[in-house]
Formats: sequence, structure tokens, C-alpha cells
Amino acid sequence: MSVINFKFRNEVLKHNASLSYCYQCSTCSGGCPVALITQGSYNPRKIIEEAILGLQDKLIEKQDPNPWLCSTCQTCVELCPQKVEITQIFTLIKNKCFDEKKNVPEAFISQGRAVLENGVALPYSKAILTRREKLGLPSIKTASVDEIKKILKETNFENNIPKEGA
Amino acid sequence: MSYDLFLGCVIPARLPFLEASSRKVFEKLGIKLNDVDGFSCCPDPTGIELIDHETWLALGARNLSLSNNNGGIISFCSGCVETLKGVNHFIRKDEKIKDDVNKILKNIGKKYDGSTNVKHFAQVLYENLDKLRENVVHPLNGFRVAVHYGCHYLRPSEIINWDDPFEPKTLDEIVKALGADSIDYELKMECCGNPLDKSDKELSLQMIDNKFKSIQESAANCVTLVCPACFQQFDFNQRELSKNKEVGYDFPIFYLSELVALAFGFKPEELGLKFHRVKATKLLEGF
Repeated sequence: MSVINFKFRNEVLKHNASLSYCYQCSTCSGGCPVALITQGSYNPRKIIEEAILGLQDKLIEKQDPNPWLCSTCQTCVELCPQKVEITQIFTLIKNKCFDEKKNVPEAFISQGRAVLENGVALPYSKAILTRREKLGLPSIKTASVDEIKKILKETNFENNIPKEGA
Repeated sequence: MSYDLFLGCVIPARLPFLEASSRKVFEKLGIKLNDVDGFSCCPDPTGIELIDHETWLALGARNLSLSNNNGGIISFCSGCVETLKGVNHFIRKDEKIKDDVNKILKNIGKKYDGSTNVKHFAQVLYENLDKLRENVVHPLNGFRVAVHYGCHYLRPSEIINWDDPFEPKTLDEIVKALGADSIDYELKMECCGNPLDKSDKELSLQMIDNKFKSIQESAANCVTLVCPACFQQFDFNQRELSKNKEVGYDFPIFYLSELVALAFGFKPEELGLKFHRVKATKLLEGF
């Protein structure tokens, strides 16, 4: 049985008041390409319902439905007759997973680690530098890693990225 | 006219040939793109933002603060454009967010006031459609193009504030200006599924498979798009998806800048078209 977590509910509502406009019409799910191909097992309306009710265990622990299956196509946001900022609310839920180090797919962590270590998500390999030269492209100086690390320390991002292999 | 060029990560570090055609097109149009040192990851609106919104805001604002150009920033990537426009959106609508972001930026001696405008390269091309037409020396006759807009070029429309989120026309008009045909297909507005690659590879492939099925049912003989994530999804997966199919997929995927460059008379070799996985041999006869 799911338990209502009032603190969690208030936190989400405080962060994004548009959540309270939702009247569960399901337009979001009707337009969702992932709901279509998963025969409704991914269901944005249900995630919003769980957020309204404050069912933290369903959203963060059990992930039923799994918010990471949102393709971020933003169709639901455009269609919502109540202007609920649906994907922003999903972002908040996923950010909470990251803060609590729970159920974040590995690819997100490795991208975060790459940005932390290089300032960019994809560092320039030797082969690419050669290819760039052959294509007549200039060499580009990307961000100072020290600067990026200072920012990521300030936002506590660094602490939420587990050490590699941990 | 000039813009500061924001390259992002995927194009310069993985698909530099897309950068080559884009730079050539803008040079030909007489629109100057300035290279700026010191940009970081935008960061990815389908990656970093989803795990840490605050970090996304701060790194995005840092990038925006590096542009001193009145024309603002141009990017060849829909993801970068969405992030930079999105960060602007939050900073411009909420003083508290702006203050919080600037408190973080203070640690590196930077500040951002929200004043840098951001444009997608396809927007700038569309705004210069007449000039584009004047420069066409090799009309793309016989190119029956399935246009894939991609989600982040259009939505959320409140943030992107450009073409219509469900009935867009800008890319089709550019394609037609080059002498090619834009071919309608049923799943034209559907997501390519690339962002799902991070959480569920199978679903991600199912989405692009559906797109290809729909393109196969149309009269199209190639695809054009304006986002490097979509490009990888379309160009890298065709062989895998064609296994166990009676008729496999064989659609050359052109970045919009590549189509424009070809129409402007650039040669396939200078554009690095050989780096595409699906070769456009037949369509490129005579180029």
C-alpha cells in the first residue's frame, strides 16, 4: 500500500504550483509517444497523479511508472489544457532521485562525470582532432575545468556523482 | 551581421563534418560566426538538466555570459539552443532564480544579466531565405526529402518561441527553396527516440523503427534534420534495424546545412559526406 508523504507533496507543490491545476483529463498520456509504444505502462498522467497525492515511494523508490522513460519530446506540455508544467515536474522528481542517489540510469551519471572532469560531455579524441584538421576546422578551447568544478562544487553536483567503479 | 558560435559537444567532438558544412554555408551567405573560447557543455537538456536543474542553470548562464555579441549566440544543435533559451527563460522570468544563479557564478568572477539572445542555425537560414535562394547554383532536383523537425527545435514553444509546435513550416520551406521536394509522411512530427537511449535502448530503437517504417511508406528518398542527437539516431541505427526485414532501410540522412551546401555548389568531399554511415551515392551522382 502506498503512503501519502505530505512533506514531499508540499515540496513539489511549492516548487511548481502548476501541479495543482491538473484535473487528470489524460490529454498528456493520449499524446505521449512512449505511452503509445508501451501500451500505457509508461503513463505521464499517472506520474502527475502520484505527485499530486505525494506518493514519494511510487515516484522515487518503485518508479511505477518510470519517469526516466519520458523522451522529453514536450508534446504533453504543449497539449495540456491546464498548462501544467509536466516535464518540469518530472525533472524535479528525477532531480530528487539524483539527490538521494536512487534509480538514476547509469548513462546520466557517466555524462555528469564527463562534464565534471572535462567541462564538456564529449572530450575531443586524437582521431577527432585529426579529422577536424582535415576538414579545415579550427581548434577550439573549451571551458577551464577548474571553473566548471567550482560551479559543480557549489551546486553539490560533485558529491552526487559516485566515484567510478564504486 | 555576426553571431557568436556555440558548438556544444556532439557536433565538434563526434560529428565534425556537420560543423564543416554549416560553417561553409554561413560564410557563403556573408554571415560571420565568431569562435569563442571557454564554452562548456550547454548542458544537455535531456541529460544534466534531468539530474540537476540548478547545475544546468548555472552552467548554461555561464556559457551565455561569455557572449558579448549584439547578434547573440547561434548554435548548430537543437539541444544546445533549447538549453540556452531555457536558461534565459528562467532567468528572465524570475528575479530570485537570476540572483541564485549569479551567487553561484560569483565564485568564478562571472555574472549574467539575461541579455544574450540565442538562435538556431535553421532559424537564421529561414530569416535569410531570399539570400539563400540567390546562392543556389545546383538545385536539388530528385531529392525527395522527409523532413524531421525534431522535438527540441520546436518545443516547449513558450521557450523556443519560433516555429509552430505541431504544424511547423520553416524547414520545409528551406528544403523547397533548394529545389528539392518536401515529402509528407505520417509520423513526421514524432520524436526520434534518441533521449531514451540513456534509459531504455529497446524503446529508443522501437521509436526510430516506427519513424523509418513511416518514411518507407512515403515517396521520400532521403531525410533531413537539424539536431546531432537525431542525426545519430537516424544514421547510426539503420543497419541494425534492417536485420530480419524483407526490405531494409537505406535512407541517406542529410543535415540541413549539408543540403544547403550541396545546393550552393560545394562538393561532397569538402563536406565530409563520406563520414555518414548510410552513403548517398545515387543521389550524389553529378555533384
